[in-house]
Amino acid sequence: MATELLARPTETKAERKRRGVTERQRPLWLLTPGGILMVLVILIPLALALWISFIDLDQYTLRRWVEAPFIGLANYSEAFGSGLLRSIWISVSFSVLSTAATVPIGIAAALVTQNKYRGRGLVRAVFLIPYVLPSFVVGTVWKTMLQPDGIVNSLLGQHNTLWLSGGRSYWTLILVEIWAAWPFIYLMSLAALQSVDHEVHEASAVDGVTWWPKLTKVILPYLRGPVLLACLLATLNHINNFTLPFVLFGAPAPDNVNVMPMLVYVTSFQGLRFGLSAAMAVVSLIVILIPLFIYLRAVKLDVHEEGGRR
Amino acid sequence: MSAHAEATRLLPRPLLITLTVLLCAAVLVPVSYILLASLNSDVGVASGEFWPSSFSLESYHKIWTTADLSTGIVNSLIVCGATAIASALLGTTTAYVLVRFSFKGRLTILRGLVGLQSVPGTLMLLPVFVLFSSAGNYLGLTVVGTRWGLFIAYLTFALPFSTWVMVTYLRGLPRELEEAARTEGASTITILRRIIVPLSLPAIVVAGIFAFLLGWNDVLFASVLTRPETHTAAVALQVFGASQEGGALPVYSQMMAAALVCAAPVVLLYLVFQRYLVGGLTAGGIK
Repeated sequence: MATELLARPTETKAERKRRGVTERQRPLWLLTPGGILMVLVILIPLALALWISFIDLDQYTLRRWVEAPFIGLANYSEAFGSGLLRSIWISVSFSVLSTAATVPIGIAAALVTQNKYRGRGLVRAVFLIPYVLPSFVVGTVWKTMLQPDGIVNSLLGQHNTLWLSGGRSYWTLILVEIWAAWPFIYLMSLAALQSVDHEVHEASAVDGVTWWPKLTKVILPYLRGPVLLACLLATLNHINNFTLPFVLFGAPAPDNVNVMPMLVYVTSFQGLRFGLSAAMAVVSLIVILIPLFIYLRAVKLDVHEEGGRR
Repeated sequence: MSAHAEATRLLPRPLLITLTVLLCAAVLVPVSYILLASLNSDVGVASGEFWPSSFSLESYHKIWTTADLSTGIVNSLIVCGATAIASALLGTTTAYVLVRFSFKGRLTILRGLVGLQSVPGTLMLLPVFVLFSSAGNYLGLTVVGTRWGLFIAYLTFALPFSTWVMVTYLRGLPRELEEAARTEGASTITILRRIIVPLSLPAIVVAGIFAFLLGWNDVLFASVLTRPETHTAAVALQVFGASQEGGALPVYSQMMAAALVCAAPVVLLYLVFQRYLVGGLTAGGIK
């Protein structure tokens, strides 16, 4: 365990008190029900996933998986030889493009609802709709609208445009993801925008700054920290999004949208190559470790710790 | 417009109006089409109507026989309800200890709680599936395909999530009341029951609702770990969609109605608890 790294031996009792935690009468037994359950349903499966990635587990060995042969890194080398790199590229580019597109939309939405006006509550409620709708519902309704004989094609006056297969599918996925995900950036920007002191606005007004310099030089710097944090989280959510590609395109997905979660799912539950897909899943975890690590550094973990550096 | 509003206004009026209209249209045009299509007939939607030539609730009637939605919704309510209650209760006690007491490994657990929310679901599903299917081979228990199995699988992501929601709330709670109670000789259980739970009830409800939504919105686990009798609403909707593909007449109107019915409980929860849910979301910084 890495606990030694995190313990702070130089800390005095008084400091600890100030931090808001106490040493006396620690009812640590209260951790047991939640703790045991978390070990059972999280740590053991995670360890097992790692183990499976080293064994040759398929539909024949599944019934006696304990005896499945250990094959070292063979699953990993097979994974890299069978389209994993392409899936990583698709996943990463899809996530980064989706995040990049949602940021200006989300910030713009926060800017237009910052001030009170008649009907603002209604506008804010409208902005939350895509966020509130479950992902599988968003996927289902867009899939219906994007059918070759669906409403999108009839509004565009076309009849043969394929949105859900072939080259366009990648952009379809990004567009639907943007439609569903921008309110998250909007909510995080709005929270940051509301923490800007009124004095800042007044000072700018007194100085007679016009709106564009005020926005870019005064207001947006306040948003940088929270929005960067939101971007990391949004990117992680995009990269792990299984529901949207699965519902939009079905499994197996078209080649252009074979994102990592789809690849792992199809390899394990349609190809029944559990060992191979575990190796792919472990690699996909490694891919997200970099943004995840930065996010963990930035998020406020403890009572008096500074988080979301600005 | 008052001077106050004038000072805090960030965009010139024409730009503000343009942006608001564009954003609302981007949301409302598809959403209103979905509503209109669900109130149309399958024939009307298939002929490309945006505005129905005749309104009817026919699709909302038909879906209960063409799709297995009622089974799905009942299963989802049972499994996600159980997940919500279990994660909210266990999350509260675990979070209380994590926030108030220091011990070795505490920060590791806190980091783990945040980190686990970004672990790919596919990575968790695989070992859970292997464990569940081997429970059948080694112990003679049927887990795959049961509601119990799905409930346990949902705990893998609902539990750390709810615990983290409670951690973010409890660390903002003043300690004076509990300390007074402790000097009076109250036990930890009494403190939890009489002080912590009543004071943090809104957060507990939010933690439970988030856990419920995680389960309700899940397709990945449910598509693998259920069979027709235990399908959740999300899977029932996918099965309905797949079964109608390639049919003579597309049932787009029924698809929209079924999708809206699946979204209704979620929308309802947000309408009732909107303030808490949105607040909890930005405070915890989690989806």
